[in-house]
Amino acid sequence: MTTIPGPVLILGLPLTMAVLLQLLRRWTTVTAWLAAVTSVVLGTAVISLPLTQTWQLGQWQIRLGAPLWVLGREVVLQPVDRLPVTFLFFTAAGIFILAWRLLPHSNFFPIGLATTALLVGALLVTQVVYAALLVEIAAILAVFPLHEGSKQAKGGLRFMTYTSLALPGLMVTQLLLDLYAIFPNDRGLLSTSAVLLSLSFAILLGAFPFQNWLSAVTDDGSPPVVTYIFTMNLGVVWFMLLAYLQSYTWLSEQAALGSVFNILGLLMMGLGGLLAASQQRLGRLVGYATLVDNGAMLLALGTQRIGGIALAGIMLISRPLALGLMTVGLAGLRRLSAGDDDRETLRGAVWRAPWRTAAFLVGGIALAGFPLSLGFTARWGLYRLIAEQSLFEAAFALLSSAGVMLGLISAMRALLAPPPVDKQGRVLGLALKEDLIVVLLIVVLIGATFTLSIFPQGISRVALEMASGYTFFAP
Amino acid sequence: MSPFVLWLSRLSAFASMPAVWGIFFAGAVIYLIAGWRVRLLALIVQFFFIGILYAHLFADRPEIALLKLIVGWLVCGALYLSARMREEAIPQERRFSWAADVPFRALTLAVLGFSAYIASQRYILPFVSADLAVACFLLGALALLFIGTEEDTVVVGVGILNLLAALDLFYSSQDPGLLVTGFLVVVNLLVGLAISYLTVIEVAE
Repeated sequence: MTTIPGPVLILGLPLTMAVLLQLLRRWTTVTAWLAAVTSVVLGTAVISLPLTQTWQLGQWQIRLGAPLWVLGREVVLQPVDRLPVTFLFFTAAGIFILAWRLLPHSNFFPIGLATTALLVGALLVTQVVYAALLVEIAAILAVFPLHEGSKQAKGGLRFMTYTSLALPGLMVTQLLLDLYAIFPNDRGLLSTSAVLLSLSFAILLGAFPFQNWLSAVTDDGSPPVVTYIFTMNLGVVWFMLLAYLQSYTWLSEQAALGSVFNILGLLMMGLGGLLAASQQRLGRLVGYATLVDNGAMLLALGTQRIGGIALAGIMLISRPLALGLMTVGLAGLRRLSAGDDDRETLRGAVWRAPWRTAAFLVGGIALAGFPLSLGFTARWGLYRLIAEQSLFEAAFALLSSAGVMLGLISAMRALLAPPPVDKQGRVLGLALKEDLIVVLLIVVLIGATFTLSIFPQGISRVALEMASGYTFFAP
Repeated sequence: MSPFVLWLSRLSAFASMPAVWGIFFAGAVIYLIAGWRVRLLALIVQFFFIGILYAHLFADRPEIALLKLIVGWLVCGALYLSARMREEAIPQERRFSWAADVPFRALTLAVLGFSAYIASQRYILPFVSADLAVACFLLGALALLFIGTEEDTVVVGVGILNLLAALDLFYSSQDPGLLVTGFLVVVNLLVGLAISYLTVIEVAE
């Protein structure tokens, strides 16, 4: 009996299911749940099954930790990848359920499942060049559901363009590393690699001055797909960055690394906070809040402590909840005004769509990292950690988060204002006919946000365990 | 070996440098002329010249060059269909017109092209022949120009395709492995489809 390596199952099953889901696209409930169940099953398998033991599935023997060789290239699930891969599968499952009632007959479910496989593949493959190519393919595929039913296509185009711009840096890095293996005395190759890797990751994470794609995607993209891109695609980029810092010790030993992360993180937070505070469009507000969150994660990494990585992990885990709420809210609010998400157009929206308004605001507060949200736990920890090194940086980071909150308060003032009425005193515009399941999902997400903010220990433990796999910083 | 592959292979032996400049001039046509028919024709020609360079690069495996050429032309086919759909939705009065701000565009193009050529002479790319190095720099410059200064979905998409072609030529010179080549073919095809899709949805009912 032959043993099947784990990656065949982890990558093959979602890709096969994606083909099946494409055929079943007419039945949204079936496709959404099949996609979610597939992701949950794989996530559970990855986290619960031992890597080294062989287990029997019918007539097949599967060993999760066994490598798969594709034309001489190794694809393998390593212990350090287990939690990130589980996070990706569970997050994907959550987003599929969230999108179930929002995207009828959408190709998001098959494409999302295929993209999940590609993103997981990017973590399992050992060479930079293939990881980069898989991330690029995943980004291009995500463009298709992003603009389903939309009249604007700028967000997808920008996302694809920026991901493509990051590709050469990553691919050339691989070549330079191969050259370094032949000429180990040429340290210049490593310096060039460090610059190229930094540039590519800055583009992929939407760091300053490459932040423009984040707001473009939220401006005209389908909200659930935006959540997918900002949690899954950006999550994988984040894990890739950690993996490279772990694998290439010369990279983590660069003296300027901590300062680069600090400056970049502060710039992203400052710029995001400023733009969010002055933002009229709710969609763009989501983009700038994510920019601030990305900046906070880089700042956490800049502390060069394992605690910093754990804090960034909490931010990443809390992001799907916050963004999920925000985008469900945004999708409903846009329906009130035929796609327009200007806050003045949506004045008094709470009277017509109370659940969606609540979802948007609670999600926003969570993403801004303010109290009664899981994001607050991570941000507060971050401010304390930075304050030990520089009080100014901590205050600056806090003020930047306040910028997002300020943008949210402006949105809140418009959304919670008395509704516009006609001369007879009747409320203008129709109320949004809410789907009971969507309301239930909103309640569950709000409940989870509040509960996890009061009891964050479980998530903190997971994040700390995730961080303990990365040993490039001193404890 | 098919006659076309043989012919492409022979052509590449002596036409590499003209092909490099052919790529640049085809890019210039795309940048300076606004009519989609002319632009598409220029893109087809550009892919042909890139195919010649691939044939030069994969001298012992010309079928790979042919594959890349076919993929490029398939992308052109997808773009043609979407351009037709766009024209049906938004009829254009003139089939040929200069792009807006032609003098500025021509100047930018000349400066960037010249800079790319100088850069290719000054910075030697390891394991890349001289003509391919010029092609890489020129394609990179065209890509930056299209992406940085254009709003039109198709032209930005062509910019991405040019960037990928530059990367492909450079990377294949170092590591002509099948796996990366295959991945890049898939990426090219998907970028073409995505651009075509994005072009259509902007005018879809």
